[in-house]
Amino acid sequence: MSNRKDLFVQILSKERINRSEFEKACFQGIPDGSGLRSTCWKILLNYLPPSKSDWDEVLAKQRNAYNQFIRTMIVDPNQSQDTSDHPLSSSPNSTWSEYFKENEVLSQIDKDVRRLCPDLSFFQQPTKFPASFCSQSLRTRVEQANLQAMQVTQSKAGGSQLMKPKKKYSDDDCYQILPQGQEAHWEVCERILHIFALLNPGIAYVQGMNEILGPIYYTFVTDSDEADVKHAEADAFFCFTGLMSEIKDNFIKILDNSQCGITHNMDSLMNMLRENDPQLYAALTERNIKPQFFSFRWLTLLLSQEFLYPEIQRLWDSFFADSERFKFLLYFCCAMLIAQRTRLINGDFIDNMKVLQRYPIETDIYQLLQLACQIKDGKLILHTVPTKENPAPNSTSGRSGILGSFFSRAKNR
Amino acid sequence: MVLVLVIGDMHMPYRKAALPQKFKKLLVPGKIQHILCTGNLCLRETHDYLKNIASDVHIVRGDFDTNTSYPEQKVVTVGAFKIGLIHGHQVVPWGDHDAIATIRRQLDVDVMISGHTHKLEAYEKDGKFYINPGSVTGAYSALERDPVPAFILMDIQSNTLVTYVYSLANDEMEVKKIEFKKSVPEREE
Repeated sequence: MSNRKDLFVQILSKERINRSEFEKACFQGIPDGSGLRSTCWKILLNYLPPSKSDWDEVLAKQRNAYNQFIRTMIVDPNQSQDTSDHPLSSSPNSTWSEYFKENEVLSQIDKDVRRLCPDLSFFQQPTKFPASFCSQSLRTRVEQANLQAMQVTQSKAGGSQLMKPKKKYSDDDCYQILPQGQEAHWEVCERILHIFALLNPGIAYVQGMNEILGPIYYTFVTDSDEADVKHAEADAFFCFTGLMSEIKDNFIKILDNSQCGITHNMDSLMNMLRENDPQLYAALTERNIKPQFFSFRWLTLLLSQEFLYPEIQRLWDSFFADSERFKFLLYFCCAMLIAQRTRLINGDFIDNMKVLQRYPIETDIYQLLQLACQIKDGKLILHTVPTKENPAPNSTSGRSGILGSFFSRAKNR
Repeated sequence: MVLVLVIGDMHMPYRKAALPQKFKKLLVPGKIQHILCTGNLCLRETHDYLKNIASDVHIVRGDFDTNTSYPEQKVVTVGAFKIGLIHGHQVVPWGDHDAIATIRRQLDVDVMISGHTHKLEAYEKDGKFYINPGSVTGAYSALERDPVPAFILMDIQSNTLVTYVYSLANDEMEVKKIEFKKSVPEREE
């Protein structure tokens, strides 16, 4: 393990990073810890330039730019100079109406980002570096809270007393609200997505983007130097933007059926499966299992919903280091199908859907990666899976028949 | 920032048939988070209409409300502000500033909201803020023959309260902005 770490240290120590050598190393996985992964991802996602001497300058510039975005992009109607403006104004150049328009997208982000990766407590925990200069918490803009109310009751003696009305519903929120001045990590993610939506009004926000941002942000906070963690938000924002510029076609509805849309990707996955495993392909098509049922989520979210975070990090090392970016994702998805071929071919529609929509979590991703590389190099050799209709030549069906009759006889006694 | 609508004294359908068209256009769902109503809605349907604008509605009972489940007085907390709510027919003499100040002291609140007089008022007195949203339909009252239809919108941030006063005189809409800052609490003798 230390050898691999040394290899990375050696590659990164060069003044100009050799891209192909670097990609090859990252493809085999980046060692955990010591902040290597976050640095490598920044390079792979083109956030850091190949020549190392520019790094400090680029980082300072971009981080500054991001803080500037926060200050200027988020509309605060109270800073407006226009005295005739009011909250219910419907005129197009009113800051208040702009504010409410932003809230529409924001409320969608808010809903999704609150339940970001519930298996991990990370996103509910407070961040060490809240953006204190951000005048308003985005969360409160779209919150649908009920006010704390008390009723006044008069006693017969004339004294009055404040009483809490009986609760009609329990407001046991499983998400604890942090005290003033603290910010949970999901609130940081909310801000990143909000800024992204403001800067890219064409896509704005589509459900699922949070799942793309999650692992990036998580990696930058948990796996980098103290000095970089402070700027994890800005770094995650630019890496996310870079990544989105490559995969945004998957999120745009009108492109779905075009050459670069998601349908095309799903079709190439199925074609790949047909070439490599005709038997499984035939079984899936016969049962009318369409690629939309499972691979839509696999491909758009880069498998971030199928595996656990440490595994996703390892997988994304390979996906990002792919020289033809995201071709390897297809190989890997294909490998996921083939790895479960015995169960898939022998199952029925319901069982197949169960496997594909909740991919068995105990699967070893290293085996899958190996399988994917075999598919990529065209070295995959598969044997026909025995089925009920076509049993394997040396099947033991005769013996089981005897046993079966033996048991039935025993029962009759 | 939290937007709170203060509205009341509709007297529908007994004194006025409906809200002014121009107000109806402004009051759309999705903007306002909370509603404080001074009562005298008179109809269940009016309550439903308010519920439609914002889900969190607080109502006190006016002298023409038949719904007995509304409390006489209510105290709600929005951010740093404690807000007292009363319809106002209990205050004698009606609409008297000193009498309302007494109620405010009883409830120990920063902002006191009352209605009943159908006279639009928003003023600061002794470091506390007083609001009377008037009648949103412009219904007549014993004190005002032909009041101006009005309501009030409060924008509450940490310790500032910005009030937008909406009124409709001669079918011309007017919006006034009044700011109130909560003073640092002083110890009373």
